Formats: sequence, structure tokens, C-alpha cells
Amino acid sequence: MKYILLMTGTKAGVDTYHAWSKKDVDAHMAILVSINRELTESGEFIATQGLAGPNEAKVVRGVINGVPVTDGIFPESKEFLLGYWIVDVATPDRAYEIAGRISAAPGPGGKPTNMPIEVRQFATHGPKSA
Amino acid sequence: MKYILMMNGTQANFDSYAKWSKQDIEANVAFMRNFRQELHDSGVFVDTKELAWPQEAKFVRSGADGEPITDGVFPESKEFLAGYWIVDVGSAEQAYKIAARVSAAPGPGGKPANMPIEVRQVLGSHGDLGL
Repeated sequence: MKYILLMTGTKAGVDTYHAWSKKDVDAHMAILVSINRELTESGEFIATQGLAGPNEAKVVRGVINGVPVTDGIFPESKEFLLGYWIVDVATPDRAYEIAGRISAAPGPGGKPTNMPIEVRQFATHGPKSA
Repeated sequence: MKYILMMNGTQANFDSYAKWSKQDIEANVAFMRNFRQELHDSGVFVDTKELAWPQEAKFVRSGADGEPITDGVFPESKEFLAGYWIVDVGSAEQAYKIAARVSAAPGPGGKPANMPIEVRQVLGSHGDLGL
């Protein structure tokens, strides 16, 4: 069963992250790297991707006179995707366990960030099945 | 430069999609299939995925003892990812053009659905994540 684990945050949340000390960022990244390595070794790793910060984010809605209609204004509450992991696991509980590990990655002062990680399954029908 | 084009929707958006006629859904699915082929043929295609509907979505946080704590209750305003495309293009403008094509996919009665498509740059390599 393939699951995608989505890490999201508001712009304010991303700004907070930029204020972390280098030591805190390094400790955080070291845990994420070791989780990726473990998932690779267990054969559960499919992909991971980080996104650029939301400052350049645009929403595109249709076309007027051949020009895409873009909008870069978002409500403060808007949750932006920061990155994701795709894993192939035997049970939903295993996906939750991995998401819990990511959520427990250390933040400022080494304390777990407890960031919420959204866990979603891929569609299992249609032409674009995962 | 790689960009991710994301189609998001609230639970209400998903519910209204579920009420489209079979004909409208088939036209939309056919458009999406052709669109993917076009991206592939023009050499910009990297990946696309469709997610399961959000009924089974969970938020997971780590508990004090390391146990995952799951929560399946979301505000009505919560935007769920429905699917995404990753394209490798020369400029942001090209990504917006591609997003506009998806946004114009046919909806009820064959009219463009004008779904909002969020366009974001993805980090170039695993090096950016320290991997």
C-alpha cells in the first residue's frame, strides 16, 4: 500500500523555521536523513521531495486571452506543502508510525516539533494509479 | 527547474465532483489522460499522482512516548490534495501555462472547471534536503 506523508505549514510557520539556529536545523535534518536511510533499507522508501518556500507560490485559474490567470495572494491560514515522503508499507498503522517519527524530529532546543503530518493513500483506480 | 502543480479541494469540492454526470466525469478523465500524454511528448513530464479521497485522511503527531497520535477530524475549510503533476520546464511562466491548461479541464456540461491549481517550485535535488 502506497501512502504519501505531507508536511504542511503556514507562512508564519515557515518564518519560524528560518529563525532556528544552525545547530537545531542540522539536528533536524540529521534525523530526517536517518529516517530516509532506514526506509530505504527496509524497502519501504519510494520518494521524497522538498518544496521551495511559499513566497513564490501562485494559484493559476484558467486563461484570459491566452494568458494564464495567476494569483499570489493567500489567506494567512493557508497551509502550504513543505515536502512529502512516499512510502510503500504493509499497513496503514506502519504509515502512521513513520509519520509519527517524522513528527518527532527535533526542533528548537532538541525538543520534538510535533508537526502534524497528513497521511493519505494513493488512488487505486483509473489511469493514474500510483 | 522543476515545479509541482497541485490540485486541492475541500471536502465540499470532492462531494460536488461526486455528483458530476458520468458523461462529464468521462470527459474530464479523457482530458487528463491526453494532458499527461502531451506533457510526456513535450519532454516536460516528471511525475503525476492521484490521491485517494480524503475520507481516510489522518493527521499524525508524535506522542510523548513516541507513539503516533492520529486524528481524522478536519475543519470544513481544510484543503486536501487531490493530485499533482511535476514538470521540468525552463521558466515559471511555462509552469503557469501548463497549470492553466489543467485548470481549463472540462467540468459539468463540458465548460472549463477553472479549478485553482497551486504552482510551487520543488527543490532541485536531494542535496537540498541534505540527502
